[in-house]
Amino acid sequence: MALLFVAVPLKHIAGHPAATSIIGPIHGMAFLLYVWMLIQTVSGADWSRAEIARALIVAFIPFGAFANERFLKRKELALAGSVSPERKWDTSG
Amino acid sequence: MGYLWLKAFHVTAVIGWIGGMLVSSLFIVHVTSSRPLAAGESRMIEIVRAWDWKVTTPAMLLASALGMTMAVQAGWFSSRWLMVKLVLVFGLSALHGVQSGTLRRMARGANRSPPGFLRHSASAILMAIAAIAILAVVKPF
Repeated sequence: MALLFVAVPLKHIAGHPAATSIIGPIHGMAFLLYVWMLIQTVSGADWSRAEIARALIVAFIPFGAFANERFLKRKELALAGSVSPERKWDTSG
Repeated sequence: MGYLWLKAFHVTAVIGWIGGMLVSSLFIVHVTSSRPLAAGESRMIEIVRAWDWKVTTPAMLLASALGMTMAVQAGWFSSRWLMVKLVLVFGLSALHGVQSGTLRRMARGANRSPPGFLRHSASAILMAIAAIAILAVVKPF
C-alpha cells in the first residue's frame, strides 16, 4: 500500500523516483517471501489444489490479501487443532 | 556498504543456505528409506528442522537481499546471465520450501511420504549451484 499510494504517485506525479527505488525491492522481497512461505506451508500440510490456487492467484490481485485473510485465519486455527482440519473454506463471505 | 563487503557476506550466506539444504536433502532421504524410525531419530528430526529454521532459512533470505542489493547497485538487472541465475535461484528457493515443509511434516509424525523428486535433490542442488557460480563469476552473456 505504501508502494501503491505513496511511492508510485511520488514517482509519476511529483517526479521523485527515490521512494519506488526503496519500497519497490522491499515489495519484491515480501512477495517472494510470501510465495516461499506458501510452498513451505503446503508441503508441510494437506492443502487441496483449490486452496493452493486460491492462495497463489489472490496474491496477484491488488488488495487480494484482504480477501484471503479469513481463509488463512481458518487454516491457522485448523492447524492449531481448534477446528476440524477437514473443514474447507467457504465462499459465503 | 562497499561492493566487496556485500559480495563477501553474500557468498557467506549462500554457503550457509546451500550447506543447510544439502544436510536436509540427505536427511530426508535417510528418514524416508528407514521407516519405521529408529530410537532417537525423532530427536534428530527436531535438530535438523531447528537448523533449517534458525540457520538455513535466514541465510537464504540474507543471500537474496544482499544479491538483490548488489544487482541494483551494479545495474545488472538488464543482463541475461542474471536472469538465468535468478531462475535457478528461484528453483533452489522453491526446493528449499518443499524441504522445509517436509521436515515440518516429519516432525509432526505424518505418514504420507515426501515427494519422490526429493530423492534427487542433493544432485540437483549441486548442479544448480555450479551453474550459478559460473554465471556469477564468468558472466558469459
